[in-house]
Amino acid sequence: MSGTLLSVRDLKVSYSVGDGKVDAVDGASFDVPRGSIVGLVGESGCGKTTVARALTRVIADNATITGGQILFDGADIAAIPERQMNALRWRDIAFIPQSAMNSLDPVYTVESQLHEVLRRRGGMSARIARARAEELFKMVGIEKNRLRDYPHQFSGGMRQRVAIALALALNPKLVIADEPVTALDVIVQRQILDQLRGLQAMLGISVILVTHDISVVAYVCDKTVVMYAGRIAEAGPMDAVLTRPSHPYTMGLRNAFPDLKGAASGTLTPIEGAPPNLASPPPGCRFAPRCPFAMEICSKSQPSLREMSPGHAVACHRADEAPVLRELAAKTETWLAEV
Amino acid sequence: MPHLKAAASRTLQLALVLWAVVTILFLMFRLMPGNPMAAYIDPTFTAEQQQALMAQFGLDKPLWEQYFIYLGNLLQGELGQSFRYREPVAERIFTLLPNTLILTFSSLIVAYAFGILAGAYLAWRRGSAVEKAAIPLVLTTRAMPEFWLGMVLLAIFSFWLGWFPAGGTRPAGASYGSLWALYTSREFLSYLALPALTLAIYSQGLPLLLMRSNMLDVMKEDFVTMARIKGLSNWTVVVRHAARNALLPVMTSFAIAVGYQLQGNVVVETVFSWPGLGRELVRAVSASDYPLAQGAFLMIAVVVILMNLIADLLYAFLDPRVSHA
Repeated sequence: MSGTLLSVRDLKVSYSVGDGKVDAVDGASFDVPRGSIVGLVGESGCGKTTVARALTRVIADNATITGGQILFDGADIAAIPERQMNALRWRDIAFIPQSAMNSLDPVYTVESQLHEVLRRRGGMSARIARARAEELFKMVGIEKNRLRDYPHQFSGGMRQRVAIALALALNPKLVIADEPVTALDVIVQRQILDQLRGLQAMLGISVILVTHDISVVAYVCDKTVVMYAGRIAEAGPMDAVLTRPSHPYTMGLRNAFPDLKGAASGTLTPIEGAPPNLASPPPGCRFAPRCPFAMEICSKSQPSLREMSPGHAVACHRADEAPVLRELAAKTETWLAEV
Repeated sequence: MPHLKAAASRTLQLALVLWAVVTILFLMFRLMPGNPMAAYIDPTFTAEQQQALMAQFGLDKPLWEQYFIYLGNLLQGELGQSFRYREPVAERIFTLLPNTLILTFSSLIVAYAFGILAGAYLAWRRGSAVEKAAIPLVLTTRAMPEFWLGMVLLAIFSFWLGWFPAGGTRPAGASYGSLWALYTSREFLSYLALPALTLAIYSQGLPLLLMRSNMLDVMKEDFVTMARIKGLSNWTVVVRHAARNALLPVMTSFAIAVGYQLQGNVVVETVFSWPGLGRELVRAVSASDYPLAQGAFLMIAVVVILMNLIADLLYAFLDPRVSHA
């Protein structure tokens, strides 16, 4: 189990809004190695969910993939006909949504929704589907007598487990989890993340975990991709990115989140300001207006993603000065002085 | 069983509503100006004869006593004597009720079947030329008065083309072995066609527009998006998930529509000389046949109340969030 399962190259997705268009994802590139969990992290509106949905090619009516490649198992799924794409859906690429409550159909039992994918998408007979549904419930730790229940009869955490069971139904190669634990309390978050991690390791699948919460990434991911305003700011092995962040945005994110493991790490420092309006993004680096280390060049030219160490890439003009900036970024005053 | 308990409390509520209706009906006819006996009593009757008739109908008793006699009679299914027909009101009503129910349900079933399918189709074809043309058309059918629509249909299909008879339920002089034989005969269907079509055209707008707007809402739901991400066929996504959910409020509106339809029937039954409860009600009121009018009102109220109960129970049956709370 080695090599790259998914390789996103210069992906562009834009939404048509009124007369204009918004480039929600503007040239995103990252890889998902086989058998690993990759965290896609960023603020609301940074394009992470748009990337996740673009991978299934089920996107909003007013959205279009305007450029780039999505190489899945070697084939560019951004370019294949819809028929072929549909054949891949759920069998190879499954999805765990943020709110399992709204993503399960309220009028059917959970069993019937499992059977739906097992039979209609997996081509299983009723008998085999029944056995598989029980097996899936066992995997996610729910008693099989609850299969006959309706979605509203489950608690939030249980529903999320049902969503995981559904995603794993057809043994996909890639599971995209879009904010899978955001709606849950911290204790349940941990349980669900532990379970996801366990199942991922057991089944050897790849997972893309979309989240705004960098502590979630720190807790389960092997690799991190940090997005800001439709672009990749930094990507690399989780340890490298979190212990040696090289983009000021990543440094700021580290300061802004408590640790999921519960270790108190002093005060939290927010990044002041708001992400740019993507209908008219600033020239140059999109983080420059909020960056305490911005120089003249930052607001003029767009930094490209450069590899700092093997597998660790950063899009910052001052990436070479990262060790110094890290020390400055650890101080609260650095972030307050800016605004 | 919380489910049963809810149904029981609902039924109790409806019994209270029914009691209120019965009381209002009682007071309404007693408080109306004019002598209720005016239609019944011949001007040539002597004062003693009039007095005797008043006593026979119990109209000489105090109001509260009349009220309890009335309630007592109702509980036994006794609705009094029609002034005009000189026969029991209950008998009269139960011969007319089937005609009204057949007209109501046949027209509503056609209207709902059409409305649901067309509404789902228009939601699916959102923004198309078909939708742009259809919506004003549907609104026009909603705005047309039923009696006018009925007369237009009569003029075209009956008087001009001669395809359907103009009124009644059967050819003059025809007789049938049983009610069942009448209702299943071809002639009856041809008599039913125009009034039912009138009501159906008038009623299809509600389910159509309701289904369409529900579909548009449901299509935005996460579970519909998820169904697409699951790679399910378009049919499965639209019918099994979107339409199934959009249908819930439409189905309950059916039961409530029956109540509305009974009001509509008053007009359409008159236009088509359809011997139903609505037409009889109009005649009874204009002829001051108070017992019959009261009985017809009561029957319509009972049907409306029953259909509301059915709407509630139906919702619980169709929506697991209600039944499996």
